[in-house]
Amino acid sequence: MTTAPPPELDPVIHAQARLRVMATLATLSDCDRITFPRLQEILRMTAGNLSVHLRRLEEAKYVEIVKTHQGRTPVTLVGLTRRGRFAFEEYTAAVRALLDPSPRSPSTEEKP
Amino acid sequence: MTESRAHVPFDDPDDRPPADPATALRMIAEQQAEATRRLTPNMLLYYWPWGLAWLIGFGLFFLRFGPDGRVLVALPAWLPLATLLGLLAAAALVTGSASVRLGGQVAGDSHRRGVWYGISWGLSFATVTAALSRVSDHLPDDLGTLLWGGVMVGLTGALHMAGGAVWLDRNLFGLGVWISVTNVVGVVSGPGWHALVIAIAGGGGMLAAGGVIEFRRRRPRRVPGADPAFAGVGAR
Repeated sequence: MTTAPPPELDPVIHAQARLRVMATLATLSDCDRITFPRLQEILRMTAGNLSVHLRRLEEAKYVEIVKTHQGRTPVTLVGLTRRGRFAFEEYTAAVRALLDPSPRSPSTEEKP
Repeated sequence: MTESRAHVPFDDPDDRPPADPATALRMIAEQQAEATRRLTPNMLLYYWPWGLAWLIGFGLFFLRFGPDGRVLVALPAWLPLATLLGLLAAAALVTGSASVRLGGQVAGDSHRRGVWYGISWGLSFATVTAALSRVSDHLPDDLGTLLWGGVMVGLTGALHMAGGAVWLDRNLFGLGVWISVTNVVGVVSGPGWHALVIAIAGGGGMLAAGGVIEFRRRRPRRVPGADPAFAGVGAR
């Protein structure tokens, strides 16, 4: 197990549940956060399961979880950090590179 | 494809990595399409109530207060205005409640943008209404109707273009351009004709735009924000 594949895949993201969480959060605009129940509904995960994965992502400082109030009801908001957005982009680029390890890929990877 | 399974013990299937890179990419694409679909509103709720209000409301105006003072259909004189205002109020209710439902799910800059945009609509119509109601009583009926119609439709066009600028949304901006242009054509054509132009081109344009935009939204999309829908907005 000493020879890892050339582009290292981020183990925090490289798990099915967290990959789906990150992909969903990446569709939000930069400064937006989504409510926990709505995120749960979109991902079709149980609250407990989602919490576990969010904690893991929060520990890696990829997501930010904010507890606030809308009127009187407490709300939990979830969003990507800048580091998280970057990590997700890096992950997607690494996966693409694994699929298409052609030499010209670095220049095509530059484009957004 | 052999995975490096030694890193983490996988007791939870959720914790397992995607089978291979292609699966990972497919999962990302599918999940993002699903999220985008769930987080953007049904655009028919934004376009069709207004399109119908214009088509029916201005249509009745044309039939009752036609060009050169002609009465094409002998409707009660109060009916066109009452219908138009009733349908516009209903449209505001439908669009407003759709926005509120969506606003409760995502917090941040997008939410603020939406709220401020909504306030702009309400307040700008209030100021224009205040000004026009002071003036229009002193005008002949046909010119008064043209003034109300021309200014209100013009403001609608301006707000659509402004919304397009705020969200960099070609559809919204294009619809604003279309409404503005047809409004000019209608005003220049004169009383009676304005109502016909706005009913058919304005109301019909909104119905067509809503249909096209919603159809595109439901299709799986590749890159968000890159759909070339602009040309289709006013064309039919």
